Amino acid sequence: MAENPLPEKGLSAYRKVRNALLGSLTAVAFILAVTPLLAIVYVAYDRGKAALSLAFLTTMPGGFPVGIEGGIANGIAGSLILIFIASLLSVPVGIWAGLYLWDQSHTRLAKITRLLSDLLLGVPSVIWGVVGFFVFSTNTGFGFHWGFSGLAAGLTLGFIMIPIVTRVTEQALRDVPRSYIEGALALGASRFQVVRGLAIPAAITGIGTGILLGVLNVLGQTAPLVFTNYYNTGIPKSLVGSNGSVGDLAMQIFIYIHEPSKELHVKAMAAALVLTVIVLLLDMGIRLLAWGSRKYAQRMG
Amino acid sequence: MENGTQEPLVPKIAVKNFSAFYGKTQALHNVDFTIYERKITAMIGPSGCGKSTFLRSLNRMNDFFQGFRVEGSATLDGEEIYGPAVNPVLIRQRVGMVFQKPNPFQKSIFENVAYGLRIQGVKSRSVLSDIVEKSLKAAALWDEVKDRLNGSAFSLSGGQQQRLCIARALAVEPEVILLDEPASALDPISTARIEELMQDLKDRYTIAIVTHNMQQAARVSDRTAFFLDGTLVEVNDTTKIFTNPEDSRTEDYITGRFG
Repeated sequence: MAENPLPEKGLSAYRKVRNALLGSLTAVAFILAVTPLLAIVYVAYDRGKAALSLAFLTTMPGGFPVGIEGGIANGIAGSLILIFIASLLSVPVGIWAGLYLWDQSHTRLAKITRLLSDLLLGVPSVIWGVVGFFVFSTNTGFGFHWGFSGLAAGLTLGFIMIPIVTRVTEQALRDVPRSYIEGALALGASRFQVVRGLAIPAAITGIGTGILLGVLNVLGQTAPLVFTNYYNTGIPKSLVGSNGSVGDLAMQIFIYIHEPSKELHVKAMAAALVLTVIVLLLDMGIRLLAWGSRKYAQRMG
Repeated sequence: MENGTQEPLVPKIAVKNFSAFYGKTQALHNVDFTIYERKITAMIGPSGCGKSTFLRSLNRMNDFFQGFRVEGSATLDGEEIYGPAVNPVLIRQRVGMVFQKPNPFQKSIFENVAYGLRIQGVKSRSVLSDIVEKSLKAAALWDEVKDRLNGSAFSLSGGQQQRLCIARALAVEPEVILLDEPASALDPISTARIEELMQDLKDRYTIAIVTHNMQQAARVSDRTAFFLDGTLVEVNDTTKIFTNPEDSRTEDYITGRFG
């Protein structure tokens, strides 16, 4: 009798073991990846819950050392102001630059721009801070001399954001299928009509993600603020000059943790939780916006 | 195929001594070729022979490739397609194109067909509705989609999507329609529908089709051009090409000796 040349049906013992092993490795990797988020939320909540209240969000810090009484309204307002200024600079510039890199991707200028943009992504934030300090805060020949101020910090953060928005925008546009673009061009659409009516709507989720990444980066920045803004326990009337500093959640946490006061440590952890929740809300907001504009683009030309 | 020899042939697109380059690579060598009005002209040849490059040159779809350039003359109704003052956008409004893979926009069925009109500034809902209906009827898709015009174009089958793309091209009333292997990604039944459709459209439009499928060229076209290695080997009435080609290379190709 000839032996059956084929092995038995079903998985060999070796493959069964290998499947189980790789499956459990994947599960472990997943747990390791999500644990930090859960840990952050848990630690911040557990250590900060004593300070949490609605008033914590809406009142200014007071007492001595400052912050023993009151909440973090200065930090929330200041962080939002900084995001606003940074976005005002970086979103239009970054999207425009991303469009340029996508549209003119092979030109020498585009290649140089891409290279410089990537280099900027790697610049440590402390260096951004020092340069922002000399350019915007001091009187070193640039003529700004804005002191430690919200405008100096906001623009510094905006410049940090530009390369992030640029690169993500370019990548999102590249992901739009070429056949899609060609279909519109073949109907007699101009380059601009294709970009506005098809490419940007198709890439809007990616572009929104890029803006979000930039904003999140800015929200967490502390080093540049040390040099360009520092901190304010109130809300400034002006964003320029010696009284132009804004509060900022990241700086606030940093300062509170360094104070030898248990109460301030609790407030720092509560502020950390608030910062995390703001990040999550912004994330959802951007996603909703991207979803909405895609729906809109589907209806319009 | 019948080719209506009684009617005089009117040149629509005339190409003389036409060469095309991608950077240093020459893709087309001195092509001389005429596409006649209200005829279906098929371009056949093995992969890489230049037939798609040639087709895409006719409405300047190759402009976006880095380093693409042409030499020689290509005219549409006597006007140079690559003339210095010519706006390629206007050429593409007159010379529409349907691609190998259906590429509907991420929009509703209605908006896909209306897109070409919207970008020309047509806003009136009633005008748009009329043209959308007319175009979908011309593309033999109306009955299948009339109850779901606001549904996503992606909900259609591949064959329906391709007919939607044809309707989209028809909506801007081009004079010439270029079809770049329009049925190669479709099943036989969808292919047959597209071929029938081409016969219907031939009365009003000049059609040029690139196809890998020689039977398809023989079935649908009035004239056939055979390309090989970037040169036009032979162009003639389809019946002549498939029964009595002049060039031995054409004969080798259509009899399946290579390619």
